[in-house]
Amino acid sequence: MSTLSGPISTAKDALSQAVQSHIIPNQEYLLQGSILDSSVEHLLHRLKGLCDNVDTGPEPFHDHEVCMSLRTPNQMALQLRVRRSLDCDAPHQLRYIGQAELGDRSRPTLVRSSIDVACTSTVMDFLTELGCRVDFEYTNRGYMFRKGRMKITVSKIFKTGSNKPGEMGPEPISQSYLVELSVLAPTGQDAIGEEMRAFAEQLRPLVQLDKIDYKRLG
Amino acid sequence: MGVTVLQPYSVPEGQTGPQTIEFLAKRLLALGAVQASTFIVDCETFIPNPQHGTPKTVHVLHNSEYPASTFAVLDTGTKQVPLVADALFDLLMLKMAPAHTSKKQTKIESKGARFEYGDFLIKLGSVTMAENFKGILLEVEYRPCVIPSNCWELIRELLQGFLGVSIPATIPPYFNTPSIMSMNHPKSSEIFNPNHTKQNDVYQPMDTINQYLEHFGNFRKQTMLSGGTGIGAPLRS
Amino acid sequence: MSREEKQLEMLLESVLSRLNDLKLSIGAMIHKLETEYETINWPTFLDNFALISSHLTGLSKILAKELGPPLRNLTVLPLHLSPERDESLWQLTEGRVPVFSHDIVPDYLRTKPEPAAEQRMLQHEQKASNLSAEAAMKQVTQYNKVVSHIAEMVSKTREEWEIESSARSGVQQTSSMTDTQALVAAVGMGKGLKVTMPVSVPGSAPSGGLMVPPTIRPPTQMSSVSPSGVNPLGKAPSSIKTNIKSASQIHPFNQR
Repeated sequence: MSTLSGPISTAKDALSQAVQSHIIPNQEYLLQGSILDSSVEHLLHRLKGLCDNVDTGPEPFHDHEVCMSLRTPNQMALQLRVRRSLDCDAPHQLRYIGQAELGDRSRPTLVRSSIDVACTSTVMDFLTELGCRVDFEYTNRGYMFRKGRMKITVSKIFKTGSNKPGEMGPEPISQSYLVELSVLAPTGQDAIGEEMRAFAEQLRPLVQLDKIDYKRLG
Repeated sequence: MGVTVLQPYSVPEGQTGPQTIEFLAKRLLALGAVQASTFIVDCETFIPNPQHGTPKTVHVLHNSEYPASTFAVLDTGTKQVPLVADALFDLLMLKMAPAHTSKKQTKIESKGARFEYGDFLIKLGSVTMAENFKGILLEVEYRPCVIPSNCWELIRELLQGFLGVSIPATIPPYFNTPSIMSMNHPKSSEIFNPNHTKQNDVYQPMDTINQYLEHFGNFRKQTMLSGGTGIGAPLRS
Repeated sequence: MSREEKQLEMLLESVLSRLNDLKLSIGAMIHKLETEYETINWPTFLDNFALISSHLTGLSKILAKELGPPLRNLTVLPLHLSPERDESLWQLTEGRVPVFSHDIVPDYLRTKPEPAAEQRMLQHEQKASNLSAEAAMKQVTQYNKVVSHIAEMVSKTREEWEIESSARSGVQQTSSMTDTQALVAAVGMGKGLKVTMPVSVPGSAPSGGLMVPPTIRPPTQMSSVSPSGVNPLGKAPSSIKTNIKSASQIHPFNQR
């Protein structure tokens, strides 16, 4: 008998094959907006009606996100984000987010490349030892909704001070909730943008979900 | 998932690697083991670019037993930081490429046939580095148990039985080190007990990876004795 | 117009074929009952029923989402009635309808209401005619009163809703552009977040406090975060280079 009949395919091969056949969701389509604290109930109510979570209700979440960057000489800093749940035991999420492309007016959403990887809690240590520096961090608490492939989050952003998050009443960034509508899809599925635009239309005039130009915010 | 122990097997004089593997496979089949597909564990080592300054090596490993995961170990020289992530981590590693480059000639892997023998899973791996045969690495997993100290004797007996050689009665040194995972526990300082070693801890897939890394390091050292650049240093220095 | 006609034709055709299927399976069923009534068992009998009912659902499906002009908008007019026996009709209906006469048309073309409906109509009419004029008037006014009361309630609620919704959409603002920008800048680039250091990074305890703050520029207040300096999305400006130098000076791991 031959124990080694035929080559054994490596994980790298499988991955590059997946990359070539465009099945890896590495593009994030994104629309952003906000809603005043006073009206958030109203928006949640509307989302409850519009989204898929009708029977289960919205999914609450409370996350801590740390943004780190790896600086290398004569290269642009590589930004990485680590997110962990504060309210349930879930794997940490390591995420790379590329530069956002706004495109022209005809493009319905902002598009940026994104690699989202679940990993063990050692990731912070790993990145720190690798030479990554913490740029900033925050916690966000709110609700997540789903509508088909779309993900809608309504969350409050808090500064993480010296006090333990959640105990002493952390300081919120503004008197509004951040509203994000996003889809993570493989390359070349631009049709989803139109779907998102249509959904965003249903949330008007409560929330204006738009392509927000990061560069102009600096 | 159970407990896995790695055992290098030296090729007898006058025989080739494939011959030895064939011989071992025949013996396993004669015992009543059944071949169940193949396996591969590969390891790629990224070293920082000289001008970057940080002397930290990153080993990226895959184990076909856990096809959705990528394992990474960052070696600072003084400590090791393990990371288990989704397979997409490889793409992220490419993003970090400017800071780290992969040394192709140190890419090492162990692959071969996978046998099921009752509660045991036995893998006959032939280790190759840059397509050159380096040696034989056996992997034995005892699946019903997750505490190494409780089943080491069983694994040892099986190894002795089918290899026909005497195996030291003491558990491999890897299992005498403090648990890496528990060290990374947020309250590690409170619960850390130097007497609590890996052999009494719940076995995790990362432990298999660490053992592979240790043995791969030994294989690399054998070939680099002349050069001695020290890439893939032993797990515990 | 011709398109509509075509659609109608297609619809009729599919309905006709379904009807034929239905007719065939009913015929087969009857045949079975007549010839094999001694040997037929329940399962085959029920199978036949299932077949018929599936044909029926298929037919009603077609009728329900009828393409083209709705069939109920169309009128069927009997153009020619005659008490004479019509051979072609006899053949067409497989010997079921020999003449197309005044007796038959009301039943086949449904110019009359269904018998059950007709009976109920009759009952109601009888009841109404038995009522005295005074009692009838009384009932009518009572009925009117109830209806107008309900109408009032509905219109009142509608008014309330309208006021409420106009107040909501018109007067009250629900989102603010400045807040959106503040939030997006915070989440995306850490604007306003970088001042609240140090950070707790698990595992970097020994020198973490020193190393972790961005040290990109003195953390004074928010306004010091200038667009060029920390914007990680923009092109790396020259200031970053100097920052790397300063960062590597306090790097705790470069002793080797």
